[in-house]
Amino acid sequence: MSEQALAIPRKRVRSVSFLQSTFARLLRYTLVRGVTIFITVVIGVYLTVMIANMGGYVDQIRKGEIRENIAIQVINDPAYRSLSADAKRQLIEERVRLEEKRLGLDQPFLIRSFRFLENALTLRLGFAQLMNSNSGSRQVRLILLERLPATLLLFGTENLFLFFLSLFIALMLSRQYGSLWDRLFVVLSPTSSAPGWFYGLFLILIFAGWLRILPFGDLVDAPPPQTPLLYALSVAKHMILPIMALTLSAIFLSVYSWRTFFLIYSSEDYVELAKAKGLSGRTIERRYILRPTLPTIVTNFLLTVIGLWTGAPIFETVFNWPGLGRTLYQAVGLFDVPVIVGSTVIFAYLLAITVFLLDIIYAILDPRVRVSA
Amino acid sequence: MKRGLLALTLLLVVGLLMTACRPAATPTTPPPKPTEAPTPVPPTPTPVPRFGAWLDEVVFMGIGGDENALPRLEGGDIDIYGHGIGGPENFARVKANPDLTYSMAFGSYNEITFNPVLEFKDGRLNPFGDPQIREAMNWAVDRNYIVQEIFGGLGATKLLPIVSAFPDYARYIDVVRALEAKYAYNLDRAKEVISQRMIELGAELGPDGKWAYKGKTITLVFVIRVEDERKIIGDYVSNQLEEMGFVVDRQYKTRTEAAPIWIRSDPAEGLWHLYTGGWITTAVERDAGDNFAYFYTKLGMGSPLWQAYTPTEEFFNIAERLANRDFKSLAERDELFRKALELAMQDSVRVWLVDQFSFTPRLAKLEVAADLAGGVEGSQLWAMTMRWKDQVGGRVRWGQPDVLIEPWNPIGGSNWVYDVDVQRGLGEYAVVSDPYTGLLLPNRIEKAEVVVKEGLPVGKTLDWVSLQFAPEIKVPEDAWADWDAANQRFITVGEKFPEGTTANVKVTVYYPADLFQKVRWHDGSPLSLGDFLMTMIMTFDRGKEESPIFDEAAKSILDSFLAHFKGVRIVSTDPLVIETYEDLFYLDAENNVTNAVCWWPYYDQGQAPWHSVALGYLAEANKELAFTSAKATALEVEYMSYVAGPSLDILKKYLDQAAAEKFIPYAPTLGQFVSADEAAARYANLAKWYDQYKHFWVNTGPFYLALVDPTARTVLLKRNEAYPDPAEKWAGFGVPKVAVVELEGPSQVTKGQEAKYDVYVTFEEEPYPSDEIASVVYLIFDSQGNLLAKGDAAMVAEGQYQVVLSGDVTSKFPAGAAKLEVAVASKVVSIPAYGTLEFVVVAP
Repeated sequence: MSEQALAIPRKRVRSVSFLQSTFARLLRYTLVRGVTIFITVVIGVYLTVMIANMGGYVDQIRKGEIRENIAIQVINDPAYRSLSADAKRQLIEERVRLEEKRLGLDQPFLIRSFRFLENALTLRLGFAQLMNSNSGSRQVRLILLERLPATLLLFGTENLFLFFLSLFIALMLSRQYGSLWDRLFVVLSPTSSAPGWFYGLFLILIFAGWLRILPFGDLVDAPPPQTPLLYALSVAKHMILPIMALTLSAIFLSVYSWRTFFLIYSSEDYVELAKAKGLSGRTIERRYILRPTLPTIVTNFLLTVIGLWTGAPIFETVFNWPGLGRTLYQAVGLFDVPVIVGSTVIFAYLLAITVFLLDIIYAILDPRVRVSA
Repeated sequence: MKRGLLALTLLLVVGLLMTACRPAATPTTPPPKPTEAPTPVPPTPTPVPRFGAWLDEVVFMGIGGDENALPRLEGGDIDIYGHGIGGPENFARVKANPDLTYSMAFGSYNEITFNPVLEFKDGRLNPFGDPQIREAMNWAVDRNYIVQEIFGGLGATKLLPIVSAFPDYARYIDVVRALEAKYAYNLDRAKEVISQRMIELGAELGPDGKWAYKGKTITLVFVIRVEDERKIIGDYVSNQLEEMGFVVDRQYKTRTEAAPIWIRSDPAEGLWHLYTGGWITTAVERDAGDNFAYFYTKLGMGSPLWQAYTPTEEFFNIAERLANRDFKSLAERDELFRKALELAMQDSVRVWLVDQFSFTPRLAKLEVAADLAGGVEGSQLWAMTMRWKDQVGGRVRWGQPDVLIEPWNPIGGSNWVYDVDVQRGLGEYAVVSDPYTGLLLPNRIEKAEVVVKEGLPVGKTLDWVSLQFAPEIKVPEDAWADWDAANQRFITVGEKFPEGTTANVKVTVYYPADLFQKVRWHDGSPLSLGDFLMTMIMTFDRGKEESPIFDEAAKSILDSFLAHFKGVRIVSTDPLVIETYEDLFYLDAENNVTNAVCWWPYYDQGQAPWHSVALGYLAEANKELAFTSAKATALEVEYMSYVAGPSLDILKKYLDQAAAEKFIPYAPTLGQFVSADEAAARYANLAKWYDQYKHFWVNTGPFYLALVDPTARTVLLKRNEAYPDPAEKWAGFGVPKVAVVELEGPSQVTKGQEAKYDVYVTFEEEPYPSDEIASVVYLIFDSQGNLLAKGDAAMVAEGQYQVVLSGDVTSKFPAGAAKLEVAVASKVVSIPAYGTLEFVVVAP
């Protein structure tokens, strides 16, 4: 009795100490992982700052552009047409000086590069140098946020649609290996080597240029309908061609990949055992195929979701879709560093958080994953 | 039974149908005879005259790049692509489509820019540092090839720094033609001159046929732009240079990549030798005299390239005098200009190649007046001239690359052409530029008087302006010459110039008596004197450090303005008469009556009433928004937008505040002209406007801004039904009246005998009205292109002129082939028309 009474507290002590050590290991792991990811983010963002500025050479480009632009503006402005040559030259010089000052080009690049880094890491995205948001704001935050809904709407809808449709068809095909449909998807999978905008051009030509039943592009009709319902319907109409193009370009390869993935898992020993035990196909699919593949599916899904942030410049250009991709493309063309850095740092944080979360999700989803000492 | 019923029913239906389809029965009874006076027959309704724009709506759509223009036009998605495009294939495609038409524009041109430093810092020889080699490069390029093969005919050969569609080209056509003959394509001659000079400079042609200097092969770095036809031009010129023994390093670059090299780097560093330059003019240039100083001397720009220019002293002096209008008569200007053209060729730091044509495609049934330089998007009259053929009303869908590029505010907002063209439809000017001649025409003003100091070469063409000369123009003491920003009052001439001052030009502008009753802002507020006063104040205030809205960017502009501005005086408030004293002058009396001296409330970037400017004033004074981009960056606040974005809430806040306080900005001055009641009424109107349309862009033009959708890149303009002017007001600007010239006469001329040639000048096969013709000049050239004779053709009848070559004149002609060229300059379109006829001169 007494031994037993003594034994119980000993077990509890062992259990508490086990929990403590597990928690400590988890904490240490989390901390190390977090710091590592943060350092990666810092390096990535600073590299972006350097690349976006071409190591400081962008200052030279910008100065050249400023001078060229202002000179052309002044010679074309009727208000200055009658100024003496000397007065005109002085005016140009003064305006060049002010513009260079406005853009901070009167300060060394190295100092500005660390300021860019600090602002980016603290998410003080500040103001763009040249670009505006759709509504005319210079705040980088608004430039990105105003474009985000259009990107999320189109690519979010498309990616979710494609993701789940692919999974569904792939699972189906994995059960019907060698069937006509299966062979059809395998044969058509190389068509996905052409990007979405390539299909977009043809679809525009057929449905907008020739049949004239769908719009060439844009977000909504011009002028936009004034009631929310009609506006939404108009947007939906404008999404048909882009979604068709994206689906056409990706569906076959996506289905092919998932179907192959599921086929590999379908031939595992434990699946064979389950079949031998006489479990139903649906149970096997859910418990023995989908469950172990969940980490991969979730990873794929999350990366797809955060991948929306980068948009698709060429695709958006073809369909004149006001998304983030064109904004970033424009920012790169204009060397608008705050916008480039702002976008990159948000993507970097999203990626870091996702990677970090995935570690935890793996542990929950996959019993084989353990935090080691 | 059932069948019987069915048949009966059918019979009934057929009967009813037949009754319904039967013609109306002729009345059997005669109409009652009138017992009283006959009832008057209602008159046939006369068409109600249309006021304002012909169209009901214009939708501006940002549709992406130029490549989308034609597919969308052909697909019925847009009605006009407002931005000029190029490309011979596109042009052919539009011409081949009967449903499409186009307007041409002539404002852009290309050249080869040379690095003018003879020896670089590292000892390398730069052949283009030598003026004779640069001059010889004119023979090395076949401009006809460039125009025909590279531009597919969408351009004109260009030898000189003047655009061939603008007035100075026709004015100096004799020198132009002589120079064109002298510098006609001749690669052998170019080779000969360049070889000789290269040897004189110490270079030698190696056994491999390549030029070398001090034992090293000369490699020319050619910075070639890749965005347009300049890439092909660069390749062509490179081939020509290689043909002459040079090794060419072709560096293909975009604008941003090229700018630091050609415009920023020190030419002596030798980072480049040649660059494919391109320029644009957005309005018809009536005086191109300043182009020589700009393109050939260090007066042009402060950048290292311009500072390296070393024109001859003679050329520099002439260029400077032309730029500063330092001449006493037009004859003196002519002399300077002709000389400058010749010296420009000898200097040739630029070899001009082509005047490019761009075109604005649209549906054939859509009419609009386009500016010869700026196209449809650059036309100040598009809003009042655009209409569907034989139709009143309707909607036009106007595609362009983008819209709402930068925030709109009237003081320092977007100056992008894609925004300015929209704003031109919403606002209106006191005077507008004639799209075909560049002469200013009255829009809101009634007339103007221009008094010019004697000796200044100013002339006039149109009747709406009077021109007088005076030995001296004294500025009245009570005129306003400057602004005291601290005390918010004007400084008079008496205070600024105690000993008095004079001006070169006095312009008196007369507004119509019903101006303030007739013209209303879109929010319903009548135009008032306060709007003019606000324009005057804003001209000065932002450039003054004591102002709450001081802007460093405005200071340099104000300093430039004060250097020539002498004073302004409101002579009468109703009707409004304003006189302005200036030292700056333009050669055309009409163009001295600028919108600036009309003090019309159209600011640098848009029209605005004083009460909407007041909101921006409050927002900037409180450091919440800024009118200019530069100040917005400095204050780390939003760049002010009157039409969208976070600015609107801030402006609305100040509207509420201003309405509550009946705020009158610059009260010590403006308060004398604006009452508190007017202020209250205006703010109430603006508040109502904002509630309905959700923006503050209020103008007086033929359209109002009905909808702004920044996300959809769409702007909707609707017709301003209260616009006071009839729609036909600018109807005369349908098609530019470019003349057609045909010559008839003998194909053989005997030396010493008189010869007569008939010149027929027509437009659309009708005689060109003589009162619209400025000059009909003839030129005779020999087979080498040397000018033999020139003179004016004599008018015989409407549209018919005659060139008479007397025996004395023909006796001086050398025997052989000769050419008669007639150049016709019009008063109503700046593009000259030419006709040529070849003949043979024989001995008697």
